[in-house]
Amino acid sequence: MDTVGPDSEQLLFGLGDSAGDAAVLRMRLGGQLRRLREAAGITPEDAGFEIRGSRSKISRLENGRVRLKNRDVADLLTLYGVTDDALRSRFLGLVMQSNVPNWWGDYGDILPGWFENYLGLEAAAATIRSFEVQFVHGLFQTGDYARAVTRLGRKTAPDEEIERWVGLRLRRQELLSRPDPPNVWSVMDEAVLRRPVGDAAVMRGQYRHLIEVAELPNVTLQVIPFARGAHAGESGSFTVLRFEEADLPDVVYLEQLTNAVYLEQRPDVERYLEVVDEISGQALTPDETTRLIEQAARAT
Amino acid sequence: MTTDDTPASSEEGAGQSKRPPFDTSVANQARIYDYLLGGKDNYEADRAAVDAVLKIAPELGFTARENRAFLGRAVRYLAAEVGIRQFLDIGTGIPTAGNTHQVAQAVAPEARVVYVDYDPVVLAHARTLLKSSKAGATRYIDADLRDTETILAGAGRLLDFTQPVAVTLLMILHVIPDADDPHGKVARVLDALPPGSYLAVSHLGAELLDQDKSDGFQGVVRRQAQQQYIGRDRGEFERFFAGTDLVEPGVVRVEEWRPDREPEGRSALWCAVGRKRG
Repeated sequence: MDTVGPDSEQLLFGLGDSAGDAAVLRMRLGGQLRRLREAAGITPEDAGFEIRGSRSKISRLENGRVRLKNRDVADLLTLYGVTDDALRSRFLGLVMQSNVPNWWGDYGDILPGWFENYLGLEAAAATIRSFEVQFVHGLFQTGDYARAVTRLGRKTAPDEEIERWVGLRLRRQELLSRPDPPNVWSVMDEAVLRRPVGDAAVMRGQYRHLIEVAELPNVTLQVIPFARGAHAGESGSFTVLRFEEADLPDVVYLEQLTNAVYLEQRPDVERYLEVVDEISGQALTPDETTRLIEQAARAT
Repeated sequence: MTTDDTPASSEEGAGQSKRPPFDTSVANQARIYDYLLGGKDNYEADRAAVDAVLKIAPELGFTARENRAFLGRAVRYLAAEVGIRQFLDIGTGIPTAGNTHQVAQAVAPEARVVYVDYDPVVLAHARTLLKSSKAGATRYIDADLRDTETILAGAGRLLDFTQPVAVTLLMILHVIPDADDPHGKVARVLDALPPGSYLAVSHLGAELLDQDKSDGFQGVVRRQAQQQYIGRDRGEFERFFAGTDLVEPGVVRVEEWRPDREPEGRSALWCAVGRKRG
């Protein structure tokens, strides 16, 4: 059922619906390019060669991880036998829509490509689930906390650069209050609350902020307390992004020191969902979590 | 307000709970239903079982969707036309669009809803999605439907049992074997509620699925699923409503209960809504 005849109007089926979300549109265009390539019986290597690139370039492109270039897409459509002019121009029109500049374009000076991808996916997600072992999730950090965290990783950076990072993080948080915001469900290890980041004032401000965001109808916070013993979260921190569109797979985001891993193969993703489902069941309820944070705030 | 009852230690009566472990290697009732409804909170084993079942009995996809639609119509009827403001939803499942409190609170923001499920996956998801309107309230009880005393004690902390309560048991009683006395469990819950309370049930109908389809379905479930499904015939189904008067149209398939559009198929579920006499 996924085989789309290259002359078919189905080439564009559903693509127009996601035009509002550049990241989703890019994933869908990539998926369509994969189906076209497979239907034409062309290997990723050969397709990569056609656009002066490699197998992995094709893979990134088909997964929607990179901006699509008009010239590359035009060459691929030709290679895959899509010759109808009207169809080609509509497809390329959608490619242009998927490249509209985002607000984080303003942060091009500090933003590595691997994180830029995440921002696109986060903005497009309907549900964001995370498990945090060390720091409060970026969407819930105060400016002071974000500044302290950023400083940890960039000891010698000039203040202006640190402020750019803090500004980026705070700007990201605007998605929590946009119309139709995503559901954000974050489970934190108790260590996140207990290990001080910055001084006591920073932590008190952060606790207050957590208690406030937990009140938002689209936010759920849970803490898995030390008292519950070891838990299934042996993996370290991770974030699972889920999209409204039935045809888009969940994406697991794993941040590393100098890079990030995006998992979207179902067996990989399901291991992480299993862990986060299990931990959420073991963790304190949202009400108990708020009480624990209030206690921590009083003790700080 | 949203509250949550999760016993720190198990307070269930001995032999009452047959809680499934958290296990993604076998198909699970809540996740099967999620997959049938087009959700993404399911795993490979759930999809494999459902895909195998749908090959044998394709109408089960329609059946799940119509059950969800029946939930919406029944709760709306109870809230809007009867004026019920308290709901006890046993066998909640993984929350999706149009949960009981959303339907009820859309009609009456002050409506109070208690959810009950025994599945660890449902418990995890209930943490996030069951956020109530400001005026109303929801509570979640982590209990097996066989454990009626835990359910009634927990529900009694949010609901006023001197006022009518609507109990919904949708696509849940058919996993309770006769040996666990499902009719007795339903009767015990109704006993605790005043006259004018309501009961809504949907249940796999023994005579609504051809014998060969039913055999095929049971075969897949026996090999691949945590819960077994027991179809009951119309007579056995109607016995759940002892002590109530059925509201129109009585016992019908879910898609036929006060439909708001022409049904597009035939489901395999009996349903009815009854009002407790008194």
